Amino acid sequence: MTHINAHLGYDQVSAFIDGELSPKETSEVEEHLANCHPCAIRILSATQLKAATRHVSERFVVPPEALSRLTAQLSPEASKKPAGVYTLRSWTWGALAASLILAVSLLGWHATRQSGSLAAELLDQHLAVLSGGSPPEVISSDRHTVKPWFQGKLPFSFNLPDALPAGTTLNGGDLTFLHGQPAALLRFNIGRHQASVFFTQRSRDESEPATSGIQSGFVIQYANTHDLRITAVSDVNPSDLARLMSVLVEAQSPR
Amino acid sequence: MPAPASSALFEQLALPLLPSLYSHAFWLSRNHEEAEDIVQETISKALRAFDSFHAGTNFKAWVFRILRNTFLTSRTAIAASRTVFLEDHPDLLNISDMSPTPEDHLLRLDNQAAMDQALDRLHPQLREVLLLCDVEGLKYKEIALVIDVPIGTVMSRISRARRTLHEHLQKQRGVSL
Ligand SMILES: [Zn+2]
Repeated sequence: MTHINAHLGYDQVSAFIDGELSPKETSEVEEHLANCHPCAIRILSATQLKAATRHVSERFVVPPEALSRLTAQLSPEASKKPAGVYTLRSWTWGALAASLILAVSLLGWHATRQSGSLAAELLDQHLAVLSGGSPPEVISSDRHTVKPWFQGKLPFSFNLPDALPAGTTLNGGDLTFLHGQPAALLRFNIGRHQASVFFTQRSRDESEPATSGIQSGFVIQYANTHDLRITAVSDVNPSDLARLMSVLVEAQSPR
Repeated sequence: MPAPASSALFEQLALPLLPSLYSHAFWLSRNHEEAEDIVQETISKALRAFDSFHAGTNFKAWVFRILRNTFLTSRTAIAASRTVFLEDHPDLLNISDMSPTPEDHLLRLDNQAAMDQALDRLHPQLREVLLLCDVEGLKYKEIALVIDVPIGTVMSRISRARRTLHEHLQKQRGVSL
């Protein structure tokens, strides 16, 4: 189906991001993506559009009175409970706890998005992870599995530490783009919180002011090594995130 | 009427879907009052037909199919846009897959109003499949069941919907700059 030299077709891009290709077709696409930056960008662009479409609909609010009338029609018993119980069910994303965190943080997130900043993009990607969309491309807590998976997929390499801070586990990794730059996205759990850590190549013109801070209730931290920029976003407390950052930075220094 | 046990199961399956059913009905009819009527009728029909639902198949796809058929017999659909959903639009759907432009770049999707507007302007037939896919999370074969078309048509509509959306957004951006 895929010719070695042809770019991906529109239908292929769509079916790929929807997870509708056969394993064979999927690996053909992945093979093409590993060698074709423009198509990788198209995949990312399509993925973002898909997320944006979902957001439009998530902003749609079912009138509470209509919902309680319908609930009553379906289930006369259940309708005696507070209506709020049912509005919560409307969130399509997984766990209730995650919904609440998202619902709260999205308010701030919309404000952040207006500025169109790198921080907004970071939060966007981190929220996509939180909303339980897709599992990581490579699912493993073993750095010997995760690190090699990125090899050949990125124009740079990075190291993972031998040991992580107590209570921190690696869940896996994904290939992504940050400000148009290819990036490795590593997903960690710090206690009950999730953290997304992005590795990108340091650009020659370091125009981006990288100030760590708190945005929309999320902690964002940056660190630079000789060749890399490491960016972390999480709702965990800043000192726990900083501990993870420091071992990640440490792991990049030559031994 | 189904036995009490099966009506309890129906309730359990349908209750969490109410908000989705309502919002999809609203996207189809563009009218709150009618959206509620459509969902109400859908629930009644689905409950009556619940015996014909086979456990193990996708309940959501099954009930969305009923919702869609209910909409197609509703006031708005008959008055205005029913044909829009049922007719084939060769010009719209069978555009050959032109060679993709590798220059395709990331859109700034931070303008919510632009996004709303672009989705609103999308042809209803394209918007419908896109929402079933991106918002309701149905697989292509389930969407094929809901709207009663071959799976290949689902795929090309979704792909076309995204290209059109992308074009709208790119144009809007061009204007706003
Ligand atoms: Zn390509």
